[in-house]
Amino acid sequence: MDLGDFEADNSVSCRLASAVPDICKTEDCCLGIDEAGRGPVLGPMVYGICFCPIKKKDDLKALKVADSKTLTEAERENLFSKIDEAKDFVGWALQILSPNTISNSMLQRVKYNLNALSHDAAIGLVQYALDCGVQLKEVFVDTVGPAEKYQEKLSQLFPGVEVTVRPKADSLFPIVSAASICAKVARDHAVKSWQFREDLADVDTDYGSGYPNDPKTKSWLQKHLDPVFGYPQFVRFSWSTVQTLLDSKAVPVHWDDEEEDGEKAATKQSCASMLSYFGRSKSSGRTPHRFFAERKLETLESL
Amino acid sequence: MSSNGSVTTVQLPSIGQAEQPQIHFLPCEIEHDGAAQVSHYFTAVVQDHKHEISVSYRGRELKGAEVSCPKDYTGLVMKEDHKPSSDQEDRTVRISSTFHRFSYWNLTTQPSPDDGVVMSMTWPTLAEAIHGSVDD
Repeated sequence: MDLGDFEADNSVSCRLASAVPDICKTEDCCLGIDEAGRGPVLGPMVYGICFCPIKKKDDLKALKVADSKTLTEAERENLFSKIDEAKDFVGWALQILSPNTISNSMLQRVKYNLNALSHDAAIGLVQYALDCGVQLKEVFVDTVGPAEKYQEKLSQLFPGVEVTVRPKADSLFPIVSAASICAKVARDHAVKSWQFREDLADVDTDYGSGYPNDPKTKSWLQKHLDPVFGYPQFVRFSWSTVQTLLDSKAVPVHWDDEEEDGEKAATKQSCASMLSYFGRSKSSGRTPHRFFAERKLETLESL
Repeated sequence: MSSNGSVTTVQLPSIGQAEQPQIHFLPCEIEHDGAAQVSHYFTAVVQDHKHEISVSYRGRELKGAEVSCPKDYTGLVMKEDHKPSSDQEDRTVRISSTFHRFSYWNLTTQPSPDDGVVMSMTWPTLAEAIHGSVDD
């Protein structure tokens, strides 16, 4: 799998896709959706779709695709090659959500949670298939959240398409298994060959699976913490594991949209901020004109 | 001279040796006073798409723009090598770097001429108009 487009800029979201088989534009098709790398604190989350004509379902089964989690890495690679080679009737597309995209979205002023992000990635991929002229009739989706609501949402968005959202769909429907293999292979490649955009010397690439409870991942996070910047963009800052580490080992950072509880505000006061040196002494009692307040300009009396 | 009678001396000759680093003005307060790996973690990942610059800090998206110091003004970064032990003591600060422009960053929002930093740069012109000498 060639991740060149993603690697050219791994700070953003990127779409990779196979060519669309001609037969998918004329025959009624089914499409499967699955994700890889939702839980890890490191690397991208990948959404994958796979589609083929409904009447070719048995040919897909013959490729012996199975739930990617039950396969070894080598088996997945092998199966991905088979799926990719079956280009006369199988098409695939991926949405790679970079860890930076995930951090940025989840830590926006107006929070954009992981579920919404996932749903939007899935919806975007189905829309992509439709835009390419794929004659979609059935969509099968694997989900971790509540299936009914999600199914309703997708059915409303795509009238004329029969949508089935099911937990563990990746082990029930071959087209979803195929999608899960594509997604997982992309995720593995992206993590393995991660190009750090930061200028870091001696980065240890032995980060394990990337799951927060993996001992290798844990020790990597301990080792690569910078007190001011935290981590490179390979790390999902929005994960509680990371927030906890930063709270205990990095220097505190305060943003204007943060709601601070009493305790935090108190610690902040006891350790004088830079700005307090520039502050007008409270006794002067005059509020500056709006012109100055809006520009945050204050009179400097001593350094 | 400050209110408590101590004297602060600014060593102007040090301006000649001052560096001219890139200055970044962030929309957050970092409780750190000292060196940081700015070029490794920050400058290296700044994206420039058609003059719209963006970066992430601690996972949060920042959008930035360049601002120039007002005409005839120079930005100074001052450093105090020996902190006074009491507020009665005289202080000496040297100029560690100078700058004429800097980047300022907004949290998520696109920089605009209405941002406080940009607007504050107009004060010297206004101050001159108010307080400057009037020609007859």
